[in-house]
Amino acid sequence: MTSRRIRLVSVFAAGALLFAACSDSDDGGGSDTTASETTETTEAPSGAWAVSTEDCADPDAAVAPISGTLKVGTVVPLSGGTAALAFAPVAEGMKAYVDYANENNLIPGVTLELEIGDDQYNKDLTPTAVNDLLDGGVQAFTGIVGTDGNLAVRDTLNEECVPQIQVLSGSPSFKDAENYPWTTPQLAPYDVETKVYAKQLAELFPEGVTVGLYHVNTEFGLAYADTLKEVAAEYGIEIVEEQTIEPTETAPPTAQLNALAASGAEAIIAVPLGSQCPTFMKEVANAKAANAGWDPKVFITNTCASPLILGVAGDAANGLYTSNFLEDIGDPAKATIPNIKTYLDYMTARGQADIVTTAAAGWSTMEAAVAIFAQAAASEAGLTRASIIEAARSLEHVPMLGREGVVLKTNGASDQATAESLTVVQYNAAAKTFADIGSLISDFES
Amino acid sequence: MALVTIKRNSPQHIAIRVLGVLLVAIAVLWVPTKMTTGNIDSMTNALALVIAASALNLVIGYTGLISIGHSAFFGIGSYATGVLVSKYGWGHGWSMIFGALLAFIFGFIVALPALRIKGIYLALVTLAVAVLFPTMMKWPKLEWLTNGARGISGIRYEELPSLPFLGELKGRDDRTVFFYWYAIMLVIITVLVCRGIVKSRMGRALIAIRDNEIGAEVMGVNLATTKTLVFGVSAALTSLAGSLSVARTGVVTADGANLTLIGSIVFLVVMVVGGAATITGPIIGALVYVWVDNYTRTASASGDGLIGWLFDWSAVSPASIILSVALIVLMFVAPDGVFGLVRRLARRVAVIK
Repeated sequence: MTSRRIRLVSVFAAGALLFAACSDSDDGGGSDTTASETTETTEAPSGAWAVSTEDCADPDAAVAPISGTLKVGTVVPLSGGTAALAFAPVAEGMKAYVDYANENNLIPGVTLELEIGDDQYNKDLTPTAVNDLLDGGVQAFTGIVGTDGNLAVRDTLNEECVPQIQVLSGSPSFKDAENYPWTTPQLAPYDVETKVYAKQLAELFPEGVTVGLYHVNTEFGLAYADTLKEVAAEYGIEIVEEQTIEPTETAPPTAQLNALAASGAEAIIAVPLGSQCPTFMKEVANAKAANAGWDPKVFITNTCASPLILGVAGDAANGLYTSNFLEDIGDPAKATIPNIKTYLDYMTARGQADIVTTAAAGWSTMEAAVAIFAQAAASEAGLTRASIIEAARSLEHVPMLGREGVVLKTNGASDQATAESLTVVQYNAAAKTFADIGSLISDFES
Repeated sequence: MALVTIKRNSPQHIAIRVLGVLLVAIAVLWVPTKMTTGNIDSMTNALALVIAASALNLVIGYTGLISIGHSAFFGIGSYATGVLVSKYGWGHGWSMIFGALLAFIFGFIVALPALRIKGIYLALVTLAVAVLFPTMMKWPKLEWLTNGARGISGIRYEELPSLPFLGELKGRDDRTVFFYWYAIMLVIITVLVCRGIVKSRMGRALIAIRDNEIGAEVMGVNLATTKTLVFGVSAALTSLAGSLSVARTGVVTADGANLTLIGSIVFLVVMVVGGAATITGPIIGALVYVWVDNYTRTASASGDGLIGWLFDWSAVSPASIILSVALIVLMFVAPDGVFGLVRRLARRVAVIK
């Protein structure tokens, strides 16, 4: 009798499942169809980019004035692996700037509160972290780390019409104002960074250059690889070897480096991930030692250019080329620049002088976010979720720690990335500083 | 010596069982009605682990076949949903059913080596499956289907089913509650399938294989059929968790934690923490694991409370350390899992004969 009852419930459950399956009217169109149904962007009469709130889950909340306190959320890997080591100081930099903004009343009449969630760099945990923060009253997100995590919450935040600004990923996926108007990127797009390296290579090797490509086998690595293949001919680059590494791989990439050395590539463009960066650098040094006469110029993604990572690599990182739109905070010669001095003094007063180089990324992210909030507060509509995303898409801001000439600019759907100017720099392992190679490259600004 | 002895199927025994069912029903209803959206979402995540760990329990707990390749079956469900929804316009439900069928076949094939080898050698074979799966999904020749290393995004359950008793579902609150019920339904199916197998002749065959394989064969158990079938069913159930995960996040990449070896280890931890070779164990294990993990991460991130005070010296979040220590302590205190511990304590109060 019992087993018969169980079978009956099983049939009922299976039936319910089937019903849900058949009732699912998903058109399967993926992101394109989905998002265009969710929200639509419109051009305001004046020509400025404006967001539509009519399809928001709660349209009134999207345009409701925010006064007194603005709760800002972010999700950063703070535990669970090596990513935590790299990003914990970034979170501290964000906290520091929020305190700085409040103390200096940068958004008149509004106090900022920063709430931080931890997703361990695991996209399955990002939705829960974001939901927890939304439950806690967060009104805008900034600086969520990682491509997958941002993708996992992008639909929800766009449906809820909660700004997801300054996404810490250079993936082209986040430049999609048409389908995801509430999401804007912060990092220099990976395609722009690759073009900057290609341009620099063309200047270093005017007669043409053979390049070995080494990248992690993820969307992140492929963004660089695809761009390099696209622009190679334009810059006289011949890709003679391509080697990949899986993101979970921790062993030194000896075989890959042997293949690159065997190709005789005059330069390498390398896109390892996180803790793979120092391992790669050390293996390059080993390969050079084992292959007399092979001394390629190595350009490495600027996501590896953290002093923490370079410190682990030690001398093996010497002479690497990378890029940045921020000043080299670790360079004592730059410490007297007024804005950098303000930053260094503030962090020192907080007892965080030891993390100033790595925390600078968090400080800058939050600084740009606060500039957006201030612009939104000063707008005709006042501070609302809608005015925040509109400000994020019409930004013109000179960052405190930016190199001379760097302006964070966006313009509606035509220019969505803030940082698109980069300077190529070369690392000096002995001095632990970067030397500029040429001037700021702004050729790829949208 | 227990304080009370209760006769099986006596009115008292039935009353205890009814009370148990009522308490579970109240807990299931309490979650979506009283909890915050974040906690409901977290519970849905735990339910996905319940499904995967229960499925693994069939293979390891009841049959004694060591598998650390179940992340691949999770991945089959994830990719079946991702590919069929994004490229072929299927509904999530149908794609989940297809994924389960595919995983069943795949699980059946993976079990073939189990007919010849066992123990650590079988573990190595399943390890190879776990390692191979993400690489296969990124294989350039399969890129037309899987989108390679880029993965597939924008595939969440876009239009939620409009069921008469649920009304129009819109926004994250409704969506989260929908997925909670969706997960509960899959958990019910999983538990019923597992219970059905365990209580049946096949279940007795599984336990016989685990306890004495030669003896089981002598007694007439068809080892080949039993092992391959249970592996297939376990794989199919695990794929349901994968499909659920994709429907919830809308993203599938070959490097997603649950699709890699890490996923297999988490399923194993959940099963052991709850109590292997029990139906209730993986349920309790998943709830305990997710609660401890969430609590330590949230408390560590905020820096408040006892954790904040104790670990003020640490530059990084102590969440992983606390979780690891908690699991080690738990294994000392409750070597049979949390359910085993509860059962042991309960037996001091009452035994059912």
